[in-house]
Amino acid sequence: MDNNSILLSVRNLSTHFFTAEGVVKAVQEVGFSIKKGQTFALVGESRCGKSTTALSIMRLVPSPQGKIIGGQIIFEGRNLLALSEKQMRAVRGNRIAMIFQEPMTSLNPVFTLGNQIAEAIKLHQKKRTRKAWAGAVEMLGKVGIADAAQRAREYPHQMSGGMRQRVMIAMAVSCRPALLIADEPTTALDAIVQAQILDLLDEQQKQNGMSILLITHNLGIVAQRADDVAVMYASRIVEVGDSQRLFAEPLHPYTRGLIYSLCVERDASCEKARFQSLTTHYALRRTKLIPGAVPEPLHFPAGCKFHPRCPTGYRDKRCQTFEPELKEVGPGRCVACWYAPGYE
Amino acid sequence: MIELPKGRSLLKDGLRRLLKRKLATVCLVVIAAYFLLAGFIYLAEFFDWQIGPTLWQEQAGESYAPPSSKNIFGTDIFGQSVLRKTLYGAKISITVALCASLVSIAIGVPLGAIGGYFRGFIDEIIVWLYSTLSSIPYILLILAFAVVLRERSILGHKLTGITAVYLAIGLTSWVGICRLIRGEVIKHKDRDYVLAAVSYGCSRRRIIFRHLLPNVFHIVIIDFSLRFVAFIHAEVILSFLGLGEANRPSWGAMINDARMELSRGVWWQMAAATAAIFIISLALNIFGDALRDSLDPKLRTV
Amino acid sequence: MTTYIIRRLLYTIPIVLGVLLLTFVLFTVAGGDISLEIAGKGATQQTIDEIRQGYGLNKPLFFSWDSQFVNHFKNALTFDFGRARDREPVIDKIKRGVGPSLALTVPIFLGVVIISVGLSLIVAFVRGTVWDVLAVVICVAGMSVPYLSFILFGQYFLAYKWGLFPVFFSPDLSMARNVALPVLIGIAAGLGGNLRFYRTVMLDEMQNDYVRTAFAKGLTTRRVLFKHVLKNAMIPIITRVVLAIPFLFLGSLLLERFFGISGLGYLMVEAIGARDYFVIGAMTYVSAILFVVFNLITDICYVLIDPRVCLE
Repeated sequence: MDNNSILLSVRNLSTHFFTAEGVVKAVQEVGFSIKKGQTFALVGESRCGKSTTALSIMRLVPSPQGKIIGGQIIFEGRNLLALSEKQMRAVRGNRIAMIFQEPMTSLNPVFTLGNQIAEAIKLHQKKRTRKAWAGAVEMLGKVGIADAAQRAREYPHQMSGGMRQRVMIAMAVSCRPALLIADEPTTALDAIVQAQILDLLDEQQKQNGMSILLITHNLGIVAQRADDVAVMYASRIVEVGDSQRLFAEPLHPYTRGLIYSLCVERDASCEKARFQSLTTHYALRRTKLIPGAVPEPLHFPAGCKFHPRCPTGYRDKRCQTFEPELKEVGPGRCVACWYAPGYE
Repeated sequence: MIELPKGRSLLKDGLRRLLKRKLATVCLVVIAAYFLLAGFIYLAEFFDWQIGPTLWQEQAGESYAPPSSKNIFGTDIFGQSVLRKTLYGAKISITVALCASLVSIAIGVPLGAIGGYFRGFIDEIIVWLYSTLSSIPYILLILAFAVVLRERSILGHKLTGITAVYLAIGLTSWVGICRLIRGEVIKHKDRDYVLAAVSYGCSRRRIIFRHLLPNVFHIVIIDFSLRFVAFIHAEVILSFLGLGEANRPSWGAMINDARMELSRGVWWQMAAATAAIFIISLALNIFGDALRDSLDPKLRTV
Repeated sequence: MTTYIIRRLLYTIPIVLGVLLLTFVLFTVAGGDISLEIAGKGATQQTIDEIRQGYGLNKPLFFSWDSQFVNHFKNALTFDFGRARDREPVIDKIKRGVGPSLALTVPIFLGVVIISVGLSLIVAFVRGTVWDVLAVVICVAGMSVPYLSFILFGQYFLAYKWGLFPVFFSPDLSMARNVALPVLIGIAAGLGGNLRFYRTVMLDEMQNDYVRTAFAKGLTTRRVLFKHVLKNAMIPIITRVVLAIPFLFLGSLLLERFFGISGLGYLMVEAIGARDYFVIGAMTYVSAILFVVFNLITDICYVLIDPRVCLE
């Protein structure tokens, strides 16, 4: 893996929340690398720490309760965690942009769409109001909104969910960032619109050579769109790899459990090659749920966090006592499990 | 074995988190102390015990004696112990605030729930009713009611000054809680759990009392604690305006007396009454805030 | 827009009617027959009857074209409030009292609003730090002290003991000098509750997702607060501010009484003492009208600020 092609490298990131009930270790020693022009998916169930990881990269963790307590985030040759707030502001919206799950509440209801997009352009590209507005209208057109000049004068509540998300994307890519962080961008949308939005993201990626950090709990999307995947469980990364190999050969029991819990039907009409390989492999399996439930952040189990629900781990002394580190077991493949093939 | 998390009801959960905050617990203790004091005085008067606050009329020292080891808060114009008067005043303030609160909850909650749930004509009437009442400034309204009620009798029972005050405050203050409850009921009415209850044949009364009210009741509790403070302060103002308990010491009356006393350098009666009010108001305010923070499901961080 | 205003105005009619009904019931029906009180002790039946006739009290309460209620209603519409106990026309008393009351309440109002909204923005800026906690503590403490104590403390220390201000209204001094201390006290007493309210509004707004988006765009905290948050927060702020305006006209009952300023508040207190139902009723009615008018103004403001509000 040559270093020129890595855009963002997260190393040993830890973020904790200091609440009245105790310290919530939302993100612990998380590390992964995103390549230029690629889509990297961060997968996991709700409350596993994926959104907090994304917010940590942007240094938007809600303080004072939340605090990044350790690690490095190397982006374009600099450690983001070491930058001053002023320098970080120059990065946000400009070099790294973020879109969120709920487009309705994520847009300011009392300002026009054009105004909100132009604000980002004015700030980072130092353009005057009229030029910024023209740029905003142009962006709206690029994300596929018809009648952009008129729409720019309208307000968020006048748009549908899909259109609002398009506006969010327009706002985010208006300054041509190198990295777009998409935190569950399609979860609040219905199925057809989901596909449209994901297509739009792909398009933008090809046009601008942008990398995308896609945060989701939907494995289907990951299988279709992601180049590389990292799986998170209870504040830690348990497996990393390129998406085809990860789905074909999951190394960590949690990943295996996730994939086996999908009911995947053979679909002859599906065209995407990756998706087809998935269906040929799993079409005959029955679904199996992972027993138990995700642990509460204040009561993480000792040792490997997954061991109470793991077929091998729940009886094993080593899994019960010692937490396995994320280790490289092959080119571009990492896993955190004592019994994964190739581990130590 | 895999342990599943145990379920906790919203109120119990809120209570648990509330008590974990030390400040809120301290405030609760202070509030309880005031209530116990008031209760004790009632008991003492009923059984005619002659101790402490019930002896407020007794001459404890010279007129206007400053605070000393004999009388910690000094004496008033009649030589009565300010300490005892202050303690007695708790009974009056707590009673006024409690009665007014109960009256306003008794009127406001059912009206709000009925209006919010049934909408239509009955809702229009209720909204008209509280809009009319709230168009008139609070103090004016209380004064108006209190003045009018003072000489009246209800059901043959003559209304004394202070009873008129409780009634006046209660009859005018139900508006706030009614509005709040109505708003919440309207919001909850369209929620799925209500729809589910209707779909399995729940009677409307059951839906309101068994399903809706428990879900909106936390608002009543929070409003109660904050309104209590307002009522205690209202008693002070009403005493100043001459409507209130005439023959017994109340904090409002004590502060009222201070108007004349201050120019003579007698500050202790006012200080004692102000301090007494300050402490309970502070405790209630902090407690009310803590209550709101713990009971609001949106503010949960974990 | 005009249809909206007309519709809202129509809606206020039942409210005004309601207020008239309430004042009527309170004072005429429940208040009892005041002709006895006016006549005084030992008056002959004839005097009492004359008084009753003079005040129209011998007419039926409701059910006739010339009933008391109808007259009450007609008088209210024409703002004819009759005469007070001391025979002075009520309307004149009101006119006289408005000036001093406003001289007192308007500075207090402006002071409280500007200081609390401004401070609330600053406090939102430094939320979570020790300054925020300090501000909250001061607010809660301020809210817990009874208004009367504020006045007494202020009057005693600042005027009586240290002589910085006049203790009581004096016609020799300028109006400004006379109201300086009560204004100061009024602002001090009012800050606590208001600052706390605006702070809560600001913090609630800051919880919203659009604030996170704004930061993600790279905006400074100052810009996020003053542009994004403030505009959204204006809705509850305007509600509170505009609805406080009707009460300005009533003066401050307590401040006026303590400092001897003869405004509407003072008038009110006297009327209560003298059981002057005419004055009390008139003032209640006037304040209700003002309240209703300003409610309408608030609604119009909403429409101007919040694009989501559509005029059905």
